[in-house]
Amino acid sequence: MNNMTNYLRRFFNGRHLVIGIPYLWFLMLALVPLFIVLKISVSEMESTSVSNMVSWSQGWPSIKLNFASYVFIGSDELYVKAYLSSLNYALLTTVICLVIGYPFAYFMARSPKHLQPMLLMLIMLPFWTSFLLRIYAWKTLLVSNGVINNVLMSLGIIKLPLEMMNTPFSLMVGMVYSYLPFMILPLYANLSKLDMRYLEAAADLGTSPLKAFWLITVPLSKAGIIAGAMLVFIPAVGEYVIPELLGGPNTLMIGRVLWDEFFSNNDWPMASAVAVVMILLIMLPMAIYNKYQSEQLEPKP
Amino acid sequence: MNSRMINWFSQSWMVLVYIFLYMPIVTLVIFSFNDSQLVTVWSHASMRWYVALMGDGDLISAVALSLKIAFFSALISVFFGVFTAFCLNRYKRFVGRTLLSSMAATPLVMPDVIVGLSLLLMLVSMQHWLGYPERGLFTILLGHALLGTAYATVVVTSRLREMDSKLDEAAMDLGCQPLQVFRLVTLPLLLPALVSAFLLTFTLSFDDVVLSSFLSGPGYSTMPMVIFSRARLGLNPTINAVATVTIVVVTCAVIASSFYTSHQERKRRREVAQAYSDSNK
Amino acid sequence: MAIAPRANAVREDLLRVEGVTKIFDGIVKAVDNVSLTVATGEIFALLGGSGCGKSTLLRMLAGFEAPTQGKIFLAGEDITNLPPYQRPINMMFQSYALFPHLTVWENIAFGLRRDHMPKAQLIERVESMLSLVQLTKYAKRKPHQLSGGQQQRVALARSLAKRPKLLLLDEPLGALDKKLRETTQLELVNIIEEVGVTCVLVTHDQEEAMTMASRIAVMSEGYFLQIGSPDEVYEMPNSRQVADFIGNVNIFDGVVEEDESDHVTIRSADCLHYVGHGISGNSGMVVGVALRPEKILLSKEKPAGTFNWCEGEVTEIAYFGAYTTYHLKLKSGKVIKAQELNNTRDLSCGLTWGDSAFAQWSDLAMVVLTQ
Ligand SMILES: Nc1ncnc2c1ncn2[C@@H]1O[C@H](COP(=O)(O)OP(=O)(O)OP(=O)(O)O)[C@@H](O)[C@H]1O
Ligand SMILES: [Mg+2]
Repeated sequence: MNNMTNYLRRFFNGRHLVIGIPYLWFLMLALVPLFIVLKISVSEMESTSVSNMVSWSQGWPSIKLNFASYVFIGSDELYVKAYLSSLNYALLTTVICLVIGYPFAYFMARSPKHLQPMLLMLIMLPFWTSFLLRIYAWKTLLVSNGVINNVLMSLGIIKLPLEMMNTPFSLMVGMVYSYLPFMILPLYANLSKLDMRYLEAAADLGTSPLKAFWLITVPLSKAGIIAGAMLVFIPAVGEYVIPELLGGPNTLMIGRVLWDEFFSNNDWPMASAVAVVMILLIMLPMAIYNKYQSEQLEPKP
Repeated sequence: MNSRMINWFSQSWMVLVYIFLYMPIVTLVIFSFNDSQLVTVWSHASMRWYVALMGDGDLISAVALSLKIAFFSALISVFFGVFTAFCLNRYKRFVGRTLLSSMAATPLVMPDVIVGLSLLLMLVSMQHWLGYPERGLFTILLGHALLGTAYATVVVTSRLREMDSKLDEAAMDLGCQPLQVFRLVTLPLLLPALVSAFLLTFTLSFDDVVLSSFLSGPGYSTMPMVIFSRARLGLNPTINAVATVTIVVVTCAVIASSFYTSHQERKRRREVAQAYSDSNK
Repeated sequence: MAIAPRANAVREDLLRVEGVTKIFDGIVKAVDNVSLTVATGEIFALLGGSGCGKSTLLRMLAGFEAPTQGKIFLAGEDITNLPPYQRPINMMFQSYALFPHLTVWENIAFGLRRDHMPKAQLIERVESMLSLVQLTKYAKRKPHQLSGGQQQRVALARSLAKRPKLLLLDEPLGALDKKLRETTQLELVNIIEEVGVTCVLVTHDQEEAMTMASRIAVMSEGYFLQIGSPDEVYEMPNSRQVADFIGNVNIFDGVVEEDESDHVTIRSADCLHYVGHGISGNSGMVVGVALRPEKILLSKEKPAGTFNWCEGEVTEIAYFGAYTTYHLKLKSGKVIKAQELNNTRDLSCGLTWGDSAFAQWSDLAMVVLTQ
C-alpha cells in the first residue's frame, strides 16, 4: 500500500513537472505579454514609463482606464486607412499566392515520385536562406537603375526606366515572393496525399478532367488551402520589413504604423492599442488556423 | 486539352515559379563579384566587396553575435519544444491542454511586430519590478527562443506522431521507469527530429530582424539588424558579399543533409528487401 | 491438433483475477466483472471477436491500464496497483514493438540491463535466448533488417529473457501471413513448452486458440461466456454464442417433448431429435439443438427410424479438398451445413445441386443449449 501511494505520488509529480515546464514557458513569454500589451494600451504615457493603472486611494484600489488611444485610432483617418490597406494587401497577397501556388503544388504532387524530394527541396531552399537578404535582392532588381530596368533598356524594350520601386507593385512582388513557400508547402502536403482513385472514378463516370478537378480535387484539398491561406494572410497583415524595404513611404501598412508609434513617437499605449486592434482583426483567421493546427497536433487515434 | 499540352503547361509553370524564386538570389550572388560601386551596374568581376567585408568590424561582430544567439536560442527552443510536443502528444487529457496548444501555435502565426512589442513590454515591466533583465543579448535570446520553441514543437510533434506508442509500453514492460523510457527509447528515436528542429530554429534566429530590433539594447546589433539598417538607406555591395557567403553555406548544408537523408532512406529500403529475400531462401 | 495440457504440471494458481471491470471514459465498459485463475505452466487463451475487451484485459494484467474495479493477484501477491516496470510479467506485443534503434542483441538485453544483471550472466542469457529462437546469426542486425517471422522470434526472445513468471501474448501471430502462421504456431508452442512459462494469450482466431492453449476463455462484450479446455468449448458449448463462435454449427430451435434422466426428445420444425443423455431442463422448454456439420452423414436413402434425421435439397456444394461442405435446404426453409470427408477419390455420396438428400446423425452428436 505504501509502495503504491509512493508510486502514485512520484508519477503524478513527474507528469505535472513535465507539463509544467512548457506551460510556464509559454505563459510567461506568450500569454502574459499579450495581457501586458492590453494593460498598457489603456494606460497613460508618462515621461519615461507608463502610468500605474491601479492606484491606491484611501485603502481602495482605483483602476484608471484610459481609452484615449482607442478613441484616437477610431477617429483618426490614418489608422483606419492603414488597417484597411493592410488587410487589402494581405488579402491580395493570399490570393496571388494561391493562384500561383495551387497549380504549382498540384503539378509538383503529380510529378514523378523520384523527382518530388528534389522539387520540394528547391522550394525549401530559399526558405532556409535569409529572408531579409532576399528582400534586399528584390530592391537591387527593382530600383530605377536596377537590374531589370538595365536589362530591359539594353535590350531596347523600353526607353525610360520603369518606376517599379516604392510602389504597391514592388510591395506585392516582395510579399508574394516571401510568402509563396508558406502557401505551397501545406498545399503540396495535402495534394500529395490525395487519392488518385477518386479522379479515376470520376473519369470513369464520365467527368471531364477540368470538371473533376473542380468537383473533386479542389474540395478535397480544402484543408491545405485553409492552412496555406492562413499561414500567408495572418503574418502578412502585420508585415513590417517588406513594406519598409520595398514599399516606400507611400504604402501604408499597420505594422509600420506600430513600429513608428513605438520607435519614433515612443508612444507605448498607442503602439499597444494598435497591436490590440490588429490582434482583434486577425483573431478569426487565427482561430481557424489554431483549430486546424491543433487537429494536426492531436495524437493519432 | 491533350496530355502533351498539359505536361508542357505544368512544366513551364513550375519552371517560371522556380525562376521567380531563384532570380533574386542568383542576381545577388552575381553582383557580389561586381567591381562597381553601383550595385546594379556590371563593370567587371572582382573580389573587392569580400575584401571590404573582411575589414567591416561592425558586420563581423554582428555576425558573431548572431551566431551566438542562434546557437543558444536553438538549444533552448529544442529543449522546450520537446517538452511541449511530448505533453501535447502523450498526455491526451489535462487541464488547459487546448490553452497550451494554442499558446504554442500563437508565435507561428502572430505577426512579428506584435510578438516583439508584447515581449518587450513584458520585459520592461519585469525590469521595472525586479530590476532585471537588462535589454541585450539575453532578451533577444528569449524572444528567439520563444519563436523557435513554437517551430520546434511542430517538428518534434510530427515525429512523435509517427512513433509507435507501443514502444514506450514495451520499454516499461521490460522494466523502465517513465524517465528511463524517455531517455532510452523516446529520445534516441527523436534524435533526427531534434537535429532538424535545431537547424530550423537556428536559421530562424539567424534570420530574424523584427524581434531583435524590439528586444536588443544599446551595443547589441545582430547581423540582420545591421543589414536592415544599411538596406534601408540604400544599396550596398557588401551586403551582396555577406549574402553570398550565407547563401553558399546554407545551400551546401541543406543539399548535404538532403542527400544524406535520401541515402539513408535508400539504404534502409535495400536492407528491408534483403531481409525478406534472405528469409525466403 | 490441440496440445494436451501438461498433465504432470503442478496445478497451483499463479494468476488470479477477481471481479475485474474496466470502464473507459465513464461509459465504455470494455471489461465487465471478469474472474479467472491460471495455473502455473498453463497456456491460457482469451478468445473473442473484435472489440470484446481481450486486449484491455491483457493490458490490465501487464499494468498499462488500471482496473476500475477488482483485483489481480500474481502468486498470491496483489499486483493490481503495481506499475508495469515492477511486475514480473512480460508481454509480447502484437506488432512486436521492437526498438528500431537497437540491434537484435540489444533488444533482448534491454530488459536484463534494467535489472542490472552482471555482465557475464547477461551475455550468457542473451546468447541462450538467441539460440532458443535460432537467431544467433542475426544478433547484430537491426529490426528492419529482419523478416516478419524473424522479428516475431526476436520479440518472443525479448519477452522471455527476463524469465517472467507470466508471459502475455497479444495476437502473437497477427502480423504474419497465413502460411507462416501455421508453422510459427507450433514453433511458438514448442519454445514456450521448453521454457515452461505460464502464458496468457489473446487471439481472435479460434484455430490458433485451440492449437496453442490448454484452456480457453471465450469472451464477448467484456465478459466470459465460457472457460474450458479446447475440446470442452468445442464439443460442449454452454450457449448459442459460444457454439456459434467456435467453428461452424447448425442450431435447430425446438421444444422438449420427453424429459427422462437418460434421454430427451426434442421436436423442431424439420425433425425429431433424440438426445442420448439427460439435460437440466423440463418438458415444454424451448431449447436450441446444436449440431456440428462434420457430425452429419448425408445419403440418398431414407434412414430408418423416426429420430435424428431430416430431408432437404442440396443448394450449395463447396469442395475443400479434404472434405466437402453441402448446404441442405430443409422443408421449413432452414439451411443446414453438412461436412463429408472425402475418403475416396470419387466424391463419396455422389450428390449434386438440386438433389434431394437425407441427413442423419447419432444420438450423442448434439448439444442441447438452454440459453
Ligand atoms: N483507451 C481506450 N479508451 C476508450 N475506449 C477504449 C480504450 N481502449 C479500448 N477501448 C474500448 O474498449 C473496447 C474493448 O477494446 P479492446 O481493445 O480490449 O478490444 P479487443 O478485444 O482487443 O479487440 P481487437 O480484436 O479488435 O483488438 C472497445 O470497444 C474499445 O473501443
Ligand atoms: Mg486487441
